[in-house]
Amino acid sequence: MADPAADLPEAANRRFASGAFTSGLTVPDFAACLQMGLEPVGYVQGFCVMQWGWYGINSPYRRGLSPYGGGQGGYMESWQCPHGFVSAEHRSWGQNYQQSWVEDAWGEGFGNAYSRMLEEAVALGAHGVVGVVDTSDRLGDLGVLEFHVRGTAVKVDGAAGPPGGQPWTTYLAGQRLAKLIEAGYVPVSVAAAVSSVRVWAYCMTEYLLEGTNSSWGVAQAGAEITQVASAQMAARQIARERVRSQMAGDSLHGAEMVVSDRELGQGDQEIQCLLRGNRVKRFKDFDPMPVPHPTVRLS
Amino acid sequence: MTPEPPLGGAPREPLDIKAETRRAVDALHNQAHKKDSMTSDLSIDEELNLHSIGWEPVELVCGVSLFSVPMGVWNWGQGEISWASAAYAHAFEGAIARIHRECAKAGGHGVVGVEVERSIHRHHIDVTLLGTAVRPVGAKRVDAAQVFVSDLSARDFTLLQVSGWQPLGLAVGASFVYAPRRSIGVAMQQKSQNVELTNFTEAMYSARESAMERMQSSALSMAGTGVVEVKVTEGPMDFARHAVGFAAWGTVVRLAGDSHRTLQPSMVVPLDDPRAAFEATALRGK
Repeated sequence: MADPAADLPEAANRRFASGAFTSGLTVPDFAACLQMGLEPVGYVQGFCVMQWGWYGINSPYRRGLSPYGGGQGGYMESWQCPHGFVSAEHRSWGQNYQQSWVEDAWGEGFGNAYSRMLEEAVALGAHGVVGVVDTSDRLGDLGVLEFHVRGTAVKVDGAAGPPGGQPWTTYLAGQRLAKLIEAGYVPVSVAAAVSSVRVWAYCMTEYLLEGTNSSWGVAQAGAEITQVASAQMAARQIARERVRSQMAGDSLHGAEMVVSDRELGQGDQEIQCLLRGNRVKRFKDFDPMPVPHPTVRLS
Repeated sequence: MTPEPPLGGAPREPLDIKAETRRAVDALHNQAHKKDSMTSDLSIDEELNLHSIGWEPVELVCGVSLFSVPMGVWNWGQGEISWASAAYAHAFEGAIARIHRECAKAGGHGVVGVEVERSIHRHHIDVTLLGTAVRPVGAKRVDAAQVFVSDLSARDFTLLQVSGWQPLGLAVGASFVYAPRRSIGVAMQQKSQNVELTNFTEAMYSARESAMERMQSSALSMAGTGVVEVKVTEGPMDFARHAVGFAAWGTVVRLAGDSHRTLQPSMVVPLDDPRAAFEATALRGK
């Protein structure tokens, strides 16, 4: 393994060598970590700024002419117009497809920031990083996305170095981390993935979204908008598959799913789903706690 | 009454958390670990609660449905806006059917902690359900029709089970109603007065009664005896201020055994009151 410190800014190396520790933990979390034998050694961070220009005028991924042209592998579904006539305004076909290049770019940005944070943890000789926080923010209207991953590097009293020299990581800290371990799980890493599904509406989807589902001027009863429902389900499914592919048989705990959609043009929509959580592995057999005793607080 | 057999594990000795942490971290070196793959959005507290009653999380599952509302149905009219009410019910049905299928496919017996997201647009109503499929530890698969969906947290699900009740599903009811126009004379008369707008009050009552009745009918159709944690939303539509909507949903429950098991909570006085701990004036005797 290359010397991680060689890749770090000179100021970071100087800071790590200063002798004082830094930490992003709250005081209760700090106290709980000490109780568990986790010694904070430094507040470690990683950044990555990615160009985000997938929808520009010269992008090959804008709406094409062929109903079968959008596929780049992965999820794709097509819809055909049931009306049997063709005109410039009439959307005779529609398509949902997975934008794997968007997902890969997000993965690269997050992965770079994450591995840079780990480099700092390795430079500090840490066993793990607790209380990880990750953010991804658009920088103005520049089509630029900034990834920032940070957490508190910790050493474990008397433990051997982490397997493969790679510190474990978790979004948890303090009491919640203690309870995770008491429940028989050990944190392996944080896990996160984004899925992106593009929806090019066909005529029926457009009519239903605009309420113009009429037949010769007579309003029809409502109907399910299956193309968009299908895309929404697919976005969530793909995110889960992507995170599951990072699990290697371990479990995802405390997952958080955030879904956003945005209109890129009329009848042109992108659905993004971010899923993140803690990859954990069981280190002892299932051993349930006793049933909690109900209490009433007198305050 | 015969005491129920205890659930969960036996009382434990206090754990040496420092030694346990060392043991856990050392276990990372062991490659041959048990494959125990699951995904869950539950907190560790919720998972421990589930474990204590012999249940386990299986998979993060979801259901989404969008149902269209035809053009013109929000225009001025009288009575219920039945197409909008029906669209709301269909959107929920679609989302519930999908989360049932995902849960059954994952091997779950039910879904707990379901987050219900609804959005009502002029031309479509969207419903999204997201939760964690759960099952009794090691239980066999069940059919999608036998799966329950509940918006109760895992903690409340545990409490419900310990009390001898079981969740059966989500009951939903909604109604959208036109607030009738006032006559010009009445509108002019009321213009500068502080008076009740009875047309809106009556519309709201009408919507409420229909929605609550639908929710209760839904509960009865599941053979439930009641609905807990009912949430309601009401008010005029942003895009049609003359139309009011009322929606209610909650978890249908029924007794699993012969009778309710009474819990006897202990009263505790927490000693972590931040005001008492950090109030600087207290140090000066004020």
